Amino acid sequence: MELRDVFDRLLQALYSGVLNGSVYGLMAIGLTLIWGSLRMLNLAHGALYIAGAYIAYGLLGALSPPVPVTFALAVGGAALIGLLIQLILVNPILEKPGRDSASLIATLAASIIVQSAILLVFGGQTKQLPPVIDGGFKVGTTLIGYQGLVVIGAAIACFLLMTIFLRTSRRGLAIRAISQDMDAAKLMGIPIVPAFVVVMVISAALAGLAGVLLGSILFFTPSGGFTPMLMAMVVTIFGGLGSVVGTIWAAYIIGLMESFLAVYIGPSWALPGIFLFMIAMLVVRPNGLFGLGETRRL
Amino acid sequence: MLKVAGLEAGYGGSQVLHSLSLRVGDGEAVVVLGPNGHGKSTLLRSISGLIRPRAGRVEFDGVDLTHLPTEQIVAAGVVHIPQGDLPFPEMTVLENLLVGAYRPAAWSERAERLDKVFQLFPALAERKGQLARSLSGGERRMLALGRGLMSKARLLMIDEPSLGLAPLVIEQVYRTIHEIKRAGLAILLVDENAEHIAGLADRMYLLEAGVLVREGAAAELLRDEALLAAYLG
Repeated sequence: MELRDVFDRLLQALYSGVLNGSVYGLMAIGLTLIWGSLRMLNLAHGALYIAGAYIAYGLLGALSPPVPVTFALAVGGAALIGLLIQLILVNPILEKPGRDSASLIATLAASIIVQSAILLVFGGQTKQLPPVIDGGFKVGTTLIGYQGLVVIGAAIACFLLMTIFLRTSRRGLAIRAISQDMDAAKLMGIPIVPAFVVVMVISAALAGLAGVLLGSILFFTPSGGFTPMLMAMVVTIFGGLGSVVGTIWAAYIIGLMESFLAVYIGPSWALPGIFLFMIAMLVVRPNGLFGLGETRRL
Repeated sequence: MLKVAGLEAGYGGSQVLHSLSLRVGDGEAVVVLGPNGHGKSTLLRSISGLIRPRAGRVEFDGVDLTHLPTEQIVAAGVVHIPQGDLPFPEMTVLENLLVGAYRPAAWSERAERLDKVFQLFPALAERKGQLARSLSGGERRMLALGRGLMSKARLLMIDEPSLGLAPLVIEQVYRTIHEIKRAGLAILLVDENAEHIAGLADRMYLLEAGVLVREGAAAELLRDEALLAAYLG
């Protein structure tokens, strides 16, 4: 193989790996925040992702506002749905016995409601969003789309903002305190349930953003949130369930692993390869790659 | 300041506190002494709202706290520092202290409060970027106290601050509590032994099996060695 081909394949794998990783990270941070603080697996996360894409699609069809405005409204819409899910379905069961299984059922129900509503309004055909910036450029044989760079840039900006929020702001510190010791957090005067609502809204907004951003790269259908949510769960487990920094690293590791498997071995090897790796890793490091154990979160 | 009247509390089927009444005056340091497992922690947990009292009343400056959620009890100025090493382990010293100032009223003054805490605990200032889990036992206890001070508390409830510490460190912890008192905060401290509280406590209660059996001026009760031996073994 010529040096040129080696370079082309490597660049292809790196670019799509970083792109995948950015989207997985946006999705997985929300799951991690919710797991870390509420100790709940949010099965509606994929529905929030796809809701973001459809809200943008609907807005563009009906009013055609400028694309950035549309995207902002779609992220806000996903956040609003997250807020409603938290207030109507999750908050009432928080203090009840058996909340672990109840929260699974409640968020699964939310996911079915959201997806069915989308199906009712938009039908089942595949859709696509216009990109924020059209076009791209070629490096060797790899086509690098501007939209892809927008996705990567937006994701990295979100990761930085989340880290700053969690490390310096009053509410961010409170969320970390809750995830590390709920009773002690209460004794700091932190109201728990309102903090949960903040977590859910942030997490829903990030999922909606992922949906909107990816909606202009991939086609989507009402059930299209399932696979990204599954990948986000893999990432969350890799990252050690509840550690935000671990989750971001894990997202890029999984994203790169997926694209390198696809480029060098074959696209059909990507997913099985990742799941095999995950099984192997969980045998060796049951708490995840960056696993912190029970008390060490976020 | 703090008035507890007829407090009953427990867990599940077992009752731990029986019709317990006590008071803490403005700027006063009150110590509740009692052996392990006789309800000292339960007393503080029910005042701070971590467990719901079954009967009785908790009043602070005339405000009924009995059925308020913990965050509102903290907002009223009653801050509970529980037993053990409780700083948030995956946060730095500085972050732990900032969380202590979570209430908006305290948050807006966090810079000044931080200065005060660092003056009181120079060791914490040196380690402010370190994760709390990497601190020694004594430093963690100091951090827990400092975090309590960040909250604009008016009454600090401290649960067995000497637990699990080396004698030298214990002395340091009690000296600090002394200074906190001198700064004007009221203190309700529960402890297992009377060793370190002389000079700190104004008044004392003896707790046995969830009942307050004696009350009196600390100077007086602490002199009665036979009494202390009988209750604390």
